[in-house]
Amino acid sequence: MKTNYLLPHRFKKVGWLLFIPSAILGLFMLIYDWTPDFLNVNVFGIFIDEVVGTKKYFGIVSNNILNEILGVLVIISGLMIAFSKERMEDELISKIRLQSLVWATYWNYGILILAFLFVYDLSFFWVMIFNMFTVLIFFIIKFNWSLMNLNKALTYEE
Amino acid sequence: MKNSIKVQRAIYNLTQAQLAEKAKVSRQTINAMELGKYVPSTVLSLRLSEIFDVPVNELFNLEESDWE
Repeated sequence: MKTNYLLPHRFKKVGWLLFIPSAILGLFMLIYDWTPDFLNVNVFGIFIDEVVGTKKYFGIVSNNILNEILGVLVIISGLMIAFSKERMEDELISKIRLQSLVWATYWNYGILILAFLFVYDLSFFWVMIFNMFTVLIFFIIKFNWSLMNLNKALTYEE
Repeated sequence: MKNSIKVQRAIYNLTQAQLAEKAKVSRQTINAMELGKYVPSTVLSLRLSEIFDVPVNELFNLEESDWE
């Protein structure tokens, strides 16, 4: 009953501190196709299918690792924001957390279905990139919005 | 489901915040229960019953709609 898979509350702040710069740099990287030379390195890959070159399993491939770094940072920091306990994580908050997660999952896949049907070719590649992060982002927005409404509903008569 | 948390709170002269602290939940939860917007777990119901020293049945009452 006590297992809720949540992180301690202090991770939330760390999450925001990592998320904001990584997300901004990530958007900047996507828009300007930013690939700084010093991050071109040889990495180990499991499935390798180069546009011009070989197709193989397990091997070394040359790659710019900026997108890997920023992608991992955005996901980890997003998880920290989403799944750190609130200061007072009680049963009502847990219920709101679950509702928000269901809501976010529906919206995420609803939008993905629309994109499947109406977005094609290279544009769909962009949809896939954003869809990697949207479920977390939708959850964070919905959950915090619900908490805000809960606080607003506090009646002040004692 | 109806409850008499607010009445009991008045009897014991507790604020929502004080009751929240005793019951180890947030003030928002006490407020939502009093407004009938949240039905507490068995554990929280039993905590409230101990705090107010009344049986759970006296604190909470089923309504017609709870059978639907």
